[in-house]
Amino acid sequence: MNDAKLDFLKELANIGTGHATTALSQMLSGRLFQLVVPDAQMLPFAEAAEYVGGAEQVVVGIFVVVSGDVKGHMAFLLPLDSALVLLRLLIGDNSGEMNELARSALQEIGNIMITSYLNALSKMTNLLMAPSVPGVAIDMAGAVWQSVLAGAQVTNEVTVIRTEFFADGESIEGNIIFLPDDDDFKKIARLLGLGEM
Amino acid sequence: MAEVFVNMGQISSFKTQGILTTVGLGSCIGVTLYDDVAKVGVMGHIFLPRSREKDVGAPPGKYADTGIPAMINEAVKLGAKQSRLKAKMAGGANLFPNLSANSTSIGQQNIDAVTEHLKKHGIAIVGKDVAGGYGRKMRFFVDTGIVTVTAIGKDAVEI
Repeated sequence: MNDAKLDFLKELANIGTGHATTALSQMLSGRLFQLVVPDAQMLPFAEAAEYVGGAEQVVVGIFVVVSGDVKGHMAFLLPLDSALVLLRLLIGDNSGEMNELARSALQEIGNIMITSYLNALSKMTNLLMAPSVPGVAIDMAGAVWQSVLAGAQVTNEVTVIRTEFFADGESIEGNIIFLPDDDDFKKIARLLGLGEM
Repeated sequence: MAEVFVNMGQISSFKTQGILTTVGLGSCIGVTLYDDVAKVGVMGHIFLPRSREKDVGAPPGKYADTGIPAMINEAVKLGAKQSRLKAKMAGGANLFPNLSANSTSIGQQNIDAVTEHLKKHGIAIVGKDVAGGYGRKMRFFVDTGIVTVTAIGKDAVEI
């Protein structure tokens, strides 16, 4: 993949995640988030499998199918500890347990963040990107990530755009990952005058 | 004992002894083939049911239709007899059930495809722990043929 394309994907991730964490920040009475420089890569399948490490660590995964002018898949992944901190801050749940209320709260957080991300890209490009109802899984990172890749039916070349973020003063960290269908992000690039990628 | 981790789309094997492990099976299927006379064990980590033309350069182990024959070849190459091979399988879960409410989940499609292709090659399935809504870890002890499956918050099972 050439540098222009990588830079373009990173810029998309920056804008999308910027909006997503702003939405989260508003839910968390203004707590600020730092974004780690986005990572955009075209990975061979074997490496994509390893892309999210800590295969046996428990994570919360929120998964969305993107339809419209640009198709793809999005995942919001965060370690269980971070999810529990979010729940404490958002719904005052100190139990440290994952009950139905906690699950639906996490589903809603994921929904708001992913929708904010896609809305930002939609506005910029004038292309429709509509998220499905999110699915939530709390399980081994490897199983969650693998199910995301299978849901996206990835081929031997996987375009992955990831932004990591963490909160100031609270131990919250997470990842937002966009797996665009390859032909569709070329469409965005053309619209933005970036030419053929 | 040596332990090898089998990632998505890979096929690995041992003769006599060794542990073949796959971590984080969601909708994927871990499949083992075992010849208890030759002590040959093969593990595959199947990602999707059917190979696709557009997926150029995909390893055979990625798909059930190409993976099962490739696993059999590997076993035979190590001295196994196809007629003695027995299979076990784990995985095929559906972690995001609301996203496949109106269709067969990828996990179930994988279970069906692996079952079909094993049958086609005359290989009996002697143990399985499949479907459900949770991820699994699978370990295959080639010296005994024992396969253990673990999941978060559940007791380990031997299949």
